[in-house]
Amino acid sequence: MTVVRVDVERGLALCRAEDGSKATVETALIESVMPGDCLLVHAGTAIARIEAVLVP
Amino acid sequence: MKFVDEFRDPELGRALAGEILSLVEPGRRYKVMEVCGGHTHSIYKYGVDDLLPANVELVHGPGCPVCVIPMGRVDDGIAIAREQDVIFTCFGDMMRVPGSNGSLLDAKAAGADIRMVYSPLDALRIAKQNPDREVVFFAIGFETTAPSTALTLKRARAEAVTNFSCMCSHVTIVPPLRALLESPDLRLDGFIGPGHVSTVVGARPFEFIPADYGKPVVIAGFEPLDILQAISMILRQLDEGRCEVENQYRRVVPYEGNLRALEVLQEVFELRPHFEWRGLGFISHSGLKLSDAFADLDAERRFSVPGVRVADPKACQCGEVLKGVIKPWECKVFGTACTPERPIGTCMVSSEGACAAYYNFGRFAREREVV
Repeated sequence: MTVVRVDVERGLALCRAEDGSKATVETALIESVMPGDCLLVHAGTAIARIEAVLVP
Repeated sequence: MKFVDEFRDPELGRALAGEILSLVEPGRRYKVMEVCGGHTHSIYKYGVDDLLPANVELVHGPGCPVCVIPMGRVDDGIAIAREQDVIFTCFGDMMRVPGSNGSLLDAKAAGADIRMVYSPLDALRIAKQNPDREVVFFAIGFETTAPSTALTLKRARAEAVTNFSCMCSHVTIVPPLRALLESPDLRLDGFIGPGHVSTVVGARPFEFIPADYGKPVVIAGFEPLDILQAISMILRQLDEGRCEVENQYRRVVPYEGNLRALEVLQEVFELRPHFEWRGLGFISHSGLKLSDAFADLDAERRFSVPGVRVADPKACQCGEVLKGVIKPWECKVFGTACTPERPIGTCMVSSEGACAAYYNFGRFAREREVV
């Protein structure tokens, strides 16, 4: 999901999914979340930031 | 979509299929287990196995979180859900898993207040909206999902939400893999490692597989090119006589995992001495329970549960499917008495279940010629 807005104080972020839907995501497990970041979200919690690597 | 479209490129897929073909030894049969149910789903959704040589067989592992929940745990959940003033919350798939006397969905139809949620945070929100009710979250899943439950419990504690509790059925992936590797029923050549679990635990927990059992492991993503590349990497290891843990899913998985998540898991959970897995029986140190520091949020201490072990229906062969011993269509009730609409076994319930993947994508049976 792509981060739209970050609420640093509450450790939450508003994120947009592939289909355009939005959801509030727990971000406590990711350092320095910024708008535009791509996050891997599982059960409402971001567990990783997706980093650019070379396509196979 | 960034990080998705580029991993579904048909040209690159065909190139990887060619590379795989060049790596197989004619006459040799290869069995590769994809551990995670997400991989099983992707393999059949995208027809990945149709791009493989006939002597490369994909075997489905025990990594579907819904599939491994035994019937007795469903009964425990239903017992709590039937308590007065309880709102019982769980993920959608879990509602359809049969217990010994019906599913949570059946219990809901009979009047219990059972609600589907997308995350434990949703369950906590329901608790805050209903302060005069007890809200219980049925937590299932591997190390991928457990951090979400842990953070929610910490949030409940921080926000002093006292009417919220958790029935913890989280499991860990390494013990069942060790059990499978010890099983005489199964001969495997390598593993496609679970991408999302590895996001949390990292690659190190899988090092015992090459070290103790001499099998390669490649941690992989969930797009078709990820899976094809992982298979190619496994075959290359075998071809070159190497045996190690490799990480194909570097865009998400750091080798050391998510240290913050591991810390939260350590704080909130502890290992159960034993946990029952559907089809695999009791496996030591394979399930999580709430640590003493969070015991007051443990639904199994707040409510009485039967805790009775229930045998799977005789007709259902989910156990053999989960161990990779048989293919879904080889089960006697596959696609006849057991369908996604009326599942008998858990593997037909979840979209990550091998039986549901075969059924939904029309792969009822197949004959393949050996190269």
